[in-house]
Amino acid sequence: MNPDPVRQLDRLIHEKGRLAILSVLAASPELSFTELRNLLEMTDGNLSVHIRTLQEAGYLAVTKSFRKRKPLTTCALTPAGKIAFTQYLDLLEQFVRQTPRPS
Amino acid sequence: MESHWAVEHLQVIRTLMERTALYRRALAPIMLAIGLLGLAAAVAAWILRIDSSRSFSLFWGGVALAGLGVAFRLIRRQAGQESEPFWSPPTRRVTQAMLPAMAAGLITVLLPCLPCGSDPLPAWWLPPIWMVLYGASVHAAGFFMPRGIKLFGWIFVAAGSAALLALGSCSSPPPIRIAHLLMGAVFGGFHAAYGAYLYLTESRSPTA
Repeated sequence: MNPDPVRQLDRLIHEKGRLAILSVLAASPELSFTELRNLLEMTDGNLSVHIRTLQEAGYLAVTKSFRKRKPLTTCALTPAGKIAFTQYLDLLEQFVRQTPRPS
Repeated sequence: MESHWAVEHLQVIRTLMERTALYRRALAPIMLAIGLLGLAAAVAAWILRIDSSRSFSLFWGGVALAGLGVAFRLIRRQAGQESEPFWSPPTRRVTQAMLPAMAAGLITVLLPCLPCGSDPLPAWWLPPIWMVLYGASVHAAGFFMPRGIKLFGWIFVAAGSAALLALGSCSSPPPIRIAHLLMGAVFGGFHAAYGAYLYLTESRSPTA
């Protein structure tokens, strides 16, 4: 067991906005940009930046298509993203377990 | 080092995941089973000549309960196959959304049985009321389900409203046996058609 799981946390995921994006996408096969924005109450710009960062890291697959002649951007976790998110959760849980509770 | 932040992180992640999780049990078999049940019930009611308001109401109330039972069993089986809890947060939200209108619909089943005078509620008013209530119920559940369910609810609301208008403008309603056909066509036919459509289009693995 690693003595300091916090040091192993993926810094890319360990950011409030990106963690929120990965959390909601872990619970749903895919979500549109609008759904993500409404769920997480982020601005378009902020969300776009986080999505691009996650996409460049290979954690997110972004698909652009058309629905009723309107552009539709959908996001989904890639297998690498799922693994990274699961590992992040495992490390967090490990850290919580290792920390002694105040009596 | 304090672990509060980690606990809070985990709590936030859990809340977000629960809020996002859509109800994604495979609806095709459920819709098909309910559709076939509705069609079979309509045929049975026609053959058995269920012609009074009270028997009409109790018969279709029983069919509705049977439909709920079938759906319950299929959902439970799917949850078991996926090694997931039956009473998952999405299942809970869908149930809570459907409950008010469904409960109202089930209560109307009892109306013709109440001793409220010599003129019981004519059976012809029940199908449109049930359609509207069921449509409202499905539409409410659609907020926690994939796209398409809300439209399915709207179709029931539209069909029920059209039937109400047609009934209101009709001086003498047709025989109750025709109402059985309407029930079979709408509740049986719509579910079966939607189930067949989902069979052809559903490809994702179910998770609730």
